[in-house]
Order: sequence, then structure tokens, then C-alpha cells
Amino acid sequence: MATAVSHYLESVKDNLSLDLSSETEVIRELESHIEDRLHDLEESGVSEEEAANTCIRLLGPAKQLAHQIYEAHSQGTWGQALLAAMPHLLFGLLFALNWWQNVGWFLAMLVLVFSVAIYGWRHGRPFWLSPWLGDCLMPVVVSGLFLLCLPTGWSWLAIAVYVPLALWLVGSITFQTIKRDWLYSSLMLLPMPVAIGWFLSAQLEGKFPGYSTGLIQGYAPWIGLSFLVLAVAAAVFIRLRQRWLKIAVLVMSGLLTLTLVCGYGWYRLGLPAFLTLVITMLALFLTPALLKRRIKRGEHRPVARLLP
Amino acid sequence: MTMRQESMKGSVDSLLLYLVSQQPMYGYQIIKELGRRSQGYFKFKEGTLYPALHRLERAGLVRGEWQRLPGGQQRKYYHITEAGYHAMAEQRNQWRDFVVAMNLVIQPAYH
Repeated sequence: MATAVSHYLESVKDNLSLDLSSETEVIRELESHIEDRLHDLEESGVSEEEAANTCIRLLGPAKQLAHQIYEAHSQGTWGQALLAAMPHLLFGLLFALNWWQNVGWFLAMLVLVFSVAIYGWRHGRPFWLSPWLGDCLMPVVVSGLFLLCLPTGWSWLAIAVYVPLALWLVGSITFQTIKRDWLYSSLMLLPMPVAIGWFLSAQLEGKFPGYSTGLIQGYAPWIGLSFLVLAVAAAVFIRLRQRWLKIAVLVMSGLLTLTLVCGYGWYRLGLPAFLTLVITMLALFLTPALLKRRIKRGEHRPVARLLP
Repeated sequence: MTMRQESMKGSVDSLLLYLVSQQPMYGYQIIKELGRRSQGYFKFKEGTLYPALHRLERAGLVRGEWQRLPGGQQRKYYHITEAGYHAMAEQRNQWRDFVVAMNLVIQPAYH
């Protein structure tokens, strides 16, 4: 009997996708509900086994219950949506208004993004944090790409030192954010394929590492537009309740921004590059899901501590 | 879906807010109280209670608080908030208007 209830709660827990403290609280609340219901049923003369089965039946399918609770928790407020859109919006404006050429503005922007990300990281990692983290990691990735374009001797140094460090940083932050919900890690990684795409687009012009201001100036409105798309996607993602709609927003916005990247620089990138970027994007989106699955398998432990 | 289920679905939030405004309650207590007060008319599907309570909590209309009972068990009691009182008052007015309008339509016509 205890096993049936334990399996039920285990199944609810597996499908919740909430942060650890919320998850623990939900399971604790369901446990106390089951405890009360079992007590009443057994007092009315129902056998232990029958009571457990009735209890589970009254609560409904574990997966459905978990999804409904997830939906109750997953919708952020309009304020959180705006905050989530803010870093992409700021980067978008930086390029759209051509302020990126001003070192002061650019540095102020980086300092702001890093400060807000650190603040959010230290204060319970709220809903809106993922896009800020993503925009913090973006310069790390782009710097790595720049280093790889250095003359041969230097690029080896980049491969040996910078790239492993950058991968470790991106990997460990992704790993930390997965603990809450892998979808938020995917939201965090959303700007990466776009940044890589724009970098490739410009790099194939053959102007790097001695980059040309004029070249980026030509791209700037499009880069700005792609960040605006990401900003809208982040806000919509936070406001949505259903998981499948959140996934759809991530994929659609990823495809739209990559289409912008390749549409503008079509002759330079072409279809193979577009497909490669799409595969990179899907791999980045799915890696957190696979990692989460492995983590869950690794930490499988019984949740039901009640019941005789 | 029966008319009873349909009307229950549309009024879950109002019922929950009203119940916890009377006194702080925990989930299982809410289910029993709802059945008792409605004389069995409202049979809450237990699985739908917690998502509804959590939704109200996230909207700031109720506040959950864990309490340890003398027997050692822990229960999460839901308290109504100031915003919850306002929402409840608004919903109650809407219900009254609805009931008055319904009665006006369905009462027997005298010619």
C-alpha cells in the first residue's frame, strides 16, 4: 500500500519540473493530504490497500496533477516578463541605434547585464534571470570565436586555454540552471546560435580579426532586430503557462532569428550554414533536457516517508 | 460535462477565497468543508484543488503557511490576503448580479 502511494508521489515529483524547494513543498502538501484521506478511509472500515487505491484515484493521474501544478507555478507576472525581455531589448537597442560604437555605452551595458545577473543569481534565481545569464555568457562565447580566428599560433593558445575555460563556465552555469527546469536553461542558451550566426556571417566576409566598423554597421539594424525578436520571445515565454507552448516559442524564435541572420547574409552563409545553425540551436535546446534526465536518474530516491 | 461541473469549474476561485476568508484552512479541510456546506452538491475533484490553491497563492490572493499540529503532523494553512478580499468582494458582486438576472429570466411569467 505504501509502495503504491510512494510510486504515485514519485511520479508527481518526476513530472513537476519546479525548483527543489517548491517541489519539496508540493510533495509535502500532497503527503499530508494523503495521510488525512487514508486516515479517514481506514476509520470508515476500508482496507489499507483499498484506501490507498481510492486515495490515488481521487487525486487523479499523477502526470496530470503534476502538469496542473506546474502550470500554476510557471506563469510569471508582466513585471517579470518585462525584466526577462530587458537584456535582449537593451542589446537590441544598442545595435539598432548604433550605440555599440560608443565604448562607454557598450561597457555600461556589459556592467549592467553582469550586475543584474549576479544579483539574480544570489537572490533565489528568479524567473527572469535566464536571459540575463544568457547575455552574460554571449560575450564569453563571442570572445572565444574571436580568439579562434587569430593567427595560427595564437588560435592554438585559445583552443588550449580559453575554450576549455569558457566551455567549463557555460557548462557549469547551464548545469546549475537545469536544477530548476531545463526549459529555463534553453531560454538562457537562446542567444548563442544567433550570436554564432552573426559572427560567422561577418567572419566569412574575411574581415576578422581586423574587424571593420563599417561591416558591423551594415549588420547592426539586423542584429538589433534579432535581439528584439529574442526579447519578445523571452517575455512571451515567461507569461505562458503550458510547457509545450514555451518550447514552441523557443524553437520559433530561434528559427526566426536564424532566418534573419541567414536571410541578410544569404550569399555569405547559404543553406548548409543555415541548417548547421539550426542543428546547433536544437542541440543547445535539447542538451539541458538530456542532462536533466540524467540528473533525475542519478538522484532517484523515494519521496514517501509517511505511512506505516 | 454536466451543468454542475460546468458551474463548479467557473467558480472554484470564488469558493476557495470565500472558504479561507472564514478561517485559515488546509487542502483536505477545504474539500471536507466545501462538501459539508454545500450538503454534498460541490464534490471537488481532489486533484484540481492544489493547482487552484497554488494559482491563487502565486496571484497573491492567498498566503500559504506551514503549521505543526500538536500530533507532530505538518499542514499548509491558506490565509486570505488583502488582495484576496478585494477579489472575493468583486466576484461576489458578479455572482449576485448573475443570480438576480437568472431569476428574472427563469421565474414564471404571469400574464
